[in-house]
Amino acid sequence: MVKLRARCILVGDAAVGKSALSQMFRSDGAHFQKIYSMTAGVELLTKSVNVPNTSDSVELYIFDSPGREIFAEASEKMWGQPSVMCLVFDISSEASFSSCGRWLERVRAHCQGLQVPGVLVGNKSDLSSRREVETATAQEWAQSQGMEYFETSAKEMESCDAPFICLAQAFHTLYQDRLNTIQSIVSP
Amino acid sequence: MKTKDLRSSGTYVSLATSCDKNYPPEHIIDGNGETFWMSTGMFPQAFTISFPSPTEIADISLQSYNVKGLKIEKCISEEVGTFETLAERELEHTEELLQALKISLNTSTTLLRFTITSGYDHFVSVNEVHMSS
Ligand SMILES: Nc1nc2c(ncn2[C@@H]2O[C@H](COP(=O)(O)OP(=O)(O)OP(=O)(O)O)[C@@H](O)[C@H]2O)c(=O)[nH]1
Ligand SMILES: [Mg+2]
Repeated sequence: MVKLRARCILVGDAAVGKSALSQMFRSDGAHFQKIYSMTAGVELLTKSVNVPNTSDSVELYIFDSPGREIFAEASEKMWGQPSVMCLVFDISSEASFSSCGRWLERVRAHCQGLQVPGVLVGNKSDLSSRREVETATAQEWAQSQGMEYFETSAKEMESCDAPFICLAQAFHTLYQDRLNTIQSIVSP
Repeated sequence: MKTKDLRSSGTYVSLATSCDKNYPPEHIIDGNGETFWMSTGMFPQAFTISFPSPTEIADISLQSYNVKGLKIEKCISEEVGTFETLAERELEHTEELLQALKISLNTSTTLLRFTITSGYDHFVSVNEVHMSS
């Protein structure tokens, strides 16, 4: 029964719903902010996630970062060494999807060559009539970057936990791998 | 020079920032390099070793895996909680074997604090700390 700790960097363009998504996850769906309130500094949210099929948990320290470019540089300084990352776009905005590569590079620049599990999230799935990014397109790109893909709606409380549970699971798998590595070094 | 048997002298690990009960901090001073303490994510990580009375320490050796930045301090006032830095090192990365570090401290103290400021991986192990006087 181990409790792991992970620094989860949450990024993506402005207004894609990063704060909405992380707050829905944090509050178990009790809190959806309808009126847009832009994030200016990094907001830290923490939540413990049980790793499915184990008695272990991962405490996620979610660094909800501002999407607006003018705050980006200052907020990057808060990231430290990321453990996992969550990359969000809005399925009704092609532009927010095209920015994902740039966000990914930014986070990777802080990873010091470490393997950092990531997920790609297409939020606002409730706006399907205005969809600009096809599921298959997003899925394909995510796969090419070694990430899982999820579609969520913070508004409709749809699948908001899934990306975070996936990250917790991936981080837990890394932990098990490293334990095995060290075990095999000390008692081959 | 004699090597201390840390367990029988009443020395213990008084604090650690990570605890997986299968890989607890006690493994750091159990005299067995096959057992280890594992950090469970994020940096910095720290552990402290307490001695029952002021103890002379000439040098210290440490076995670990994936530790990068390491700082060793001694407590100079337990009430106020002030520390004095004894050594700061950046360890080499090793692949198929443990890191082995030896540092001369030539000091006397009741409490040592080890802070791991960064790692070559998300998780690091400390397998053994030995001291000699
Ligand atoms: N329809 C719909 N609107 C959403 C959803 N999630 C968030 N919104 C709305 O989108 C707007 C922006 O949401 P935020 O969570 O503040 O966006 P953000 O990504 O944190 O933006 P920055 O902090 O500026 O980077 C708000 O008005 C939300 O109510 C969703 O799933 N569906
Ligand atoms: Mg925000």
